[in-house]
Amino acid sequence: MAASGSGGGSRADNGYGSQQPRRRKGPGALATAYLVIYNVVMTAGWLVIAVGLVRAYLAKGSYHSLYYSIEKPLKFFQTGALLEILHCAFGIVPSSVVLTAFQVMSRVFLTWAVTHSVKEVQTEDSVLLFVVAWTITEIIRYSFYTFSLLNHLPYLIKWARYTLFIILYPMGVSGELLTIYAALPFVRQSGLYSISLPNKYNFSFDYYTFLILVMISYIPIFPQLYFHMLHQRRKVLSHTEEHKKSE
Amino acid sequence: MHRRQKPGALEHKRDLAAHGGALSMSHNDTRSFFNFSQLVLSAGHLKSPPVLKHSKITYFEVEILDMQSKKQICIVDKVPPSSTLLDVKHKFHKACPQWYPSRVGLQLERNGPYLKDSINIQSLAVSSIITLYFTDLGQQVGWTTFFLTEYTGPLLIYLLFYIRLSTIYDQVESTKNFRHPVVHLACFCHCLHYIRHLLETLFVHKFSGGHTPLKNMIKGCAFYWGFTSWIAYYINHPRYTPPSFGHRQVSFAALAFLMCEAGNHFINVTLAHQNHSGSKACFPSPTYNPFTWLFLLVSCPNYTYEVGSWISFTVMTQTLPVGIFAFLMVIQMSLWAQKKHKLYLKRFYPEVRRKAAMIPIIF
Repeated sequence: MAASGSGGGSRADNGYGSQQPRRRKGPGALATAYLVIYNVVMTAGWLVIAVGLVRAYLAKGSYHSLYYSIEKPLKFFQTGALLEILHCAFGIVPSSVVLTAFQVMSRVFLTWAVTHSVKEVQTEDSVLLFVVAWTITEIIRYSFYTFSLLNHLPYLIKWARYTLFIILYPMGVSGELLTIYAALPFVRQSGLYSISLPNKYNFSFDYYTFLILVMISYIPIFPQLYFHMLHQRRKVLSHTEEHKKSE
Repeated sequence: MHRRQKPGALEHKRDLAAHGGALSMSHNDTRSFFNFSQLVLSAGHLKSPPVLKHSKITYFEVEILDMQSKKQICIVDKVPPSSTLLDVKHKFHKACPQWYPSRVGLQLERNGPYLKDSINIQSLAVSSIITLYFTDLGQQVGWTTFFLTEYTGPLLIYLLFYIRLSTIYDQVESTKNFRHPVVHLACFCHCLHYIRHLLETLFVHKFSGGHTPLKNMIKGCAFYWGFTSWIAYYINHPRYTPPSFGHRQVSFAALAFLMCEAGNHFINVTLAHQNHSGSKACFPSPTYNPFTWLFLLVSCPNYTYEVGSWISFTVMTQTLPVGIFAFLMVIQMSLWAQKKHKLYLKRFYPEVRRKAAMIPIIF
């Protein structure tokens, strides 16, 4: 879910008055070098996924079932985003650990607990919808971070990051919701990840109900994040306008 | 000077004699007093004590600005220098009735820390006008209300599940199944725990009169009430499976639970007594009561006993959700114990050095 450019509000290098004017010491030189490498690797990884999608499309001639061609890099690089939680925990990235964890975990949940686990949904078109949304967002986001860390941020990347989400975020969310919805009957049928009473530890878990709850949780969370990003956009892009005018 | 007066006094004396000779007894006194008073009055400029003559109380003015908009909300004037921030807050409340003192957060600078109520006004002043920034801390509730609400909820919710409402459980199954005694015991223990907490809140604990934002109460209640619903659902379920080691496991766990409850109670009583008698100057010492002997090993035995209660309850019912709840309580209590332990280390260094925070020897 976390999707297209969300969390941009609280991520690194987005200062611009979104936080209190505290004196924060930035990451040291070694941490910066590591972060640059991390972001470059992630950008490259998502570019690989993008290229893989395009090649598969051209080879097959249709856009159905393209998931299989990029399955492995998608899993690898999306799971790699878990490192970002550690970055926040160790303080080299000035973001809230809880917020980042929430966003990354929701992505990882969708990749592994829905798309990987319920094999029947892998042929759905909704999977392509969110994979494309994620790919474009992540390429722009990681290159944004790379350039910010190196203090040479081209306006185009900043503009792209704070504008494209307007389309990509709803696109990603739709893809995710449709995928979960498609997975529901198969989960019900196979009793995937579900435990029922009676059992020795008196515990029960119904994955089907859990998925429905996840879908419902999108309703309060998505608008909040979306409007937060719109607000950020107004702040960041207008700030740059002023900056340019003053120069 | 003196000489000049004498004839005057004599003149006056003659007048007095003329007016009322009846006061012959006090006449002498009056005369001598009159002489003395004339002497004093005519003495002219005496060297007056400087303090008495030139002292004047400087009142302070406190200007209160809104932190976000920097607009002035009001000016509290005629603040005597010996008053505290709480007095200023009361005056502010009189001027603006919707901001009662516990809801007001005042800072010296825009993003600085909130000032304590006990701070003296004079220590803040650099001139006779003090500028403070105001933040609304939100709706506040007293600690007693907070705890009463938090503990009454679980008590009632568990009982709702215990009586097996038809909306929660399938009625057919409910009437058919035999209920293992551990279910009744669990209900008894759970209620005992929360009744004890409620009674202690009402009669034992002495709260420092502070307040806490309403949001905290909602969060706390959501946590406790939510988890109680979850655990009560499984323990009272018709398909509940009793513990694997049978009666031995249940009795042992129940005994441990009761001991931890008793221990917790005695520790709270000891701490309250200490608070009451005002002897906060030394670390609470163990008494003849064996439950308080934990003070020798640990600096926060009340948390130890609480954690012990919940772990025994988990073992007694052998229910995973209770285990998860106990785990979360352990984390929460450890954080609180660590904070308190650090405070104790600063205050009572030599005694507390070898003690653990919550679990003897280990942590």
